[in-house]
Amino acid sequence: MTVIGERSRIRKMDWRRWLRRHGWTVAAWALLLALIGFYATLIPRFGAFQISSIAKNSLPLVYLSVAQAVIVIAGGIDLSVGAMLVLTNSIAAQLMVGQSFPITLIIALGVILLAAGINGGVGWIISISRVPDIVVTLATSFILSGVALLVLPSPGGGTSEGFRAMFTGSATGSGTNFWPSLVVMAIPVGLLAFWMRRSRTGLSLYATGSDPTAAYLSAVRTARAKVVSYAVGGAFAALGGLSALAITGSGESRLSTGAGFTLRSVAAIVLGGVALTGGVGSVVGAAAAGIVLFTLSPVLSAMGIDPNTAQVIQGALIVVVMMVAGIVEVRRQRSE
Amino acid sequence: MTAETRLGLDDEDQARWALRLAEHPLIVLATVLVVLVLVTGVIEPRYLSVSGIRNTVLLAAPLGIMAGAQTILMLTGGIDLSVGMIATAAAYVAGNQSPNGAALAIALGLLVGVAAGTVNGIGVGVFRVNPLIMTLAMSAILLGLFTALSFTVLQGSTTVAPFIKTLGGGSFWGNRIPYNAVVWTGVSVLIVYGLRQTGLGRLLYAVGDNSVAVRLAGIRIWQVHIAAYAIAGLLAALAGILLAGRTGAVDLQLAVNFLLPSVAAAVIGGTSIFGGVGTYGGTIFGALILGVLATMLTFLDAGQAIQQVVYGVIVLGLAWLYARVTGIG
Repeated sequence: MTVIGERSRIRKMDWRRWLRRHGWTVAAWALLLALIGFYATLIPRFGAFQISSIAKNSLPLVYLSVAQAVIVIAGGIDLSVGAMLVLTNSIAAQLMVGQSFPITLIIALGVILLAAGINGGVGWIISISRVPDIVVTLATSFILSGVALLVLPSPGGGTSEGFRAMFTGSATGSGTNFWPSLVVMAIPVGLLAFWMRRSRTGLSLYATGSDPTAAYLSAVRTARAKVVSYAVGGAFAALGGLSALAITGSGESRLSTGAGFTLRSVAAIVLGGVALTGGVGSVVGAAAAGIVLFTLSPVLSAMGIDPNTAQVIQGALIVVVMMVAGIVEVRRQRSE
Repeated sequence: MTAETRLGLDDEDQARWALRLAEHPLIVLATVLVVLVLVTGVIEPRYLSVSGIRNTVLLAAPLGIMAGAQTILMLTGGIDLSVGMIATAAAYVAGNQSPNGAALAIALGLLVGVAAGTVNGIGVGVFRVNPLIMTLAMSAILLGLFTALSFTVLQGSTTVAPFIKTLGGGSFWGNRIPYNAVVWTGVSVLIVYGLRQTGLGRLLYAVGDNSVAVRLAGIRIWQVHIAAYAIAGLLAALAGILLAGRTGAVDLQLAVNFLLPSVAAAVIGGTSIFGGVGTYGGTIFGALILGVLATMLTFLDAGQAIQQVVYGVIVLGLAWLYARVTGIG
């Protein structure tokens, strides 16, 4: 009798502990649901087409936010994820044009591995040079976007219809079938989240980001964690580039695109509960925040707000959320 | 035995050299600058002349002032990703108000910078918003706001007054010394003096080094943050107005591409992104180095893509070299 009581007490505490640990992730998903619900009341017909539109168009930002999240959780920050997205987008568009679906899949795999290799190298440079992450990735953002311009001097290239359907649900990139977009979003993010919480290497990323010295003294290979986090981040940035190619059907290497994406990825992870100091948060929360950031624009435009004012509101909203979070944090620190 | 001793001496010598360089990081930067100038001179002999150097200074001055804003904030452990947009906004207002006289135009432009900077400071200092996020959002807000305003209140003039044009792009003493270099020199003296000799300047270092200790010493840190961001906004606005003077016209893309170079200049100059370490002297060299680089790449007739790659490689290389020589991250 008492044993059962004890057990249920423990389970209840586990539940509370789980909520406390993942509160922000849950809040991010709740915010997303509320936002979509609000969106549904704004427009006359909310159906599969709108869901599909949100799901597929938020893919690049979601992948990029996850890329940034992995790296930040492991104690880094990557200002070149946007440039990596543009570079992989350009390479894939250049190689995939006129190819069949199986060939484009192989090319996609190659591009992902290439991006993981390059970004892993960046992580390696950071760990051996001891130059701060921001500085190194600032420099590599110049390099990657320059190479992207060399690969694809003007917008163009293309991909196969099957490849477009894989990310968007239709060969033309516009339709009502939202399942493929949701699947290609959920599977990589889900696998990554599981790996980060359950595997030895995944946990070493959290340990390194939380306190590199303590992690090092506890026999965690911190340099390896840094390289792994950057490599995984590079792979996800490549997924972002590939999904952007699938959505538009052609490549694009404008420099400003990459910078804008990088900045939004940083905003998304913070909104998703990943602390910029490292070791805190989850890629699942970052993914939700990525969708939220994307969904804000159709919501604001459905409210009849012009795009410029919408941008002001979007910026102000991020600040307000962060201010509230800041106050909550300060009060929690005082109470402890 | 003797061989070993010699080896030991060599090591000691090397260590002493490294120490000497670490104590005077400006020597490293000056060497890099001179080498770059000479290399550029080899590529294009005409560069090694008064007008060649003048052009580089003309290019580097707005960047140097903007990097000053970045340096001040990086010393406190912050960063400003909105300097490019603040500069653009200030220049836009200055251009719009130019028909009402240069003095008013400049004053209103600078006011925009101070206002945006102060809001940044309140966000970071009072509400503890991460500086990356706060200034990122400020940048987005300004871009949206000014795009909207450019269709309504700020319609009209997009060219700047003749005085601003002279200030940003003109030269005196037989076309030898650019006016913007004079402005930059004045700003430099103020920043260097301010950082070294004033209470606020020392507090900027202290907050970046150990904000908990500063707070326990009875300092209101939020006031330091607001002051730092307001000054940074002012400097960014000044840089934007000079830039508008150089190009003669304003648009909403004017200074956006200066954001990353402003961080790069401060970093090359040895200012730590973690706060508490750095000098404006180093940043001046950083801006000059980037200015020479830009000139060199123009002479090489490199396309934008190649320029980007070379720029990135050199920023990375210099930062790495610097970290090795000084041992500071």
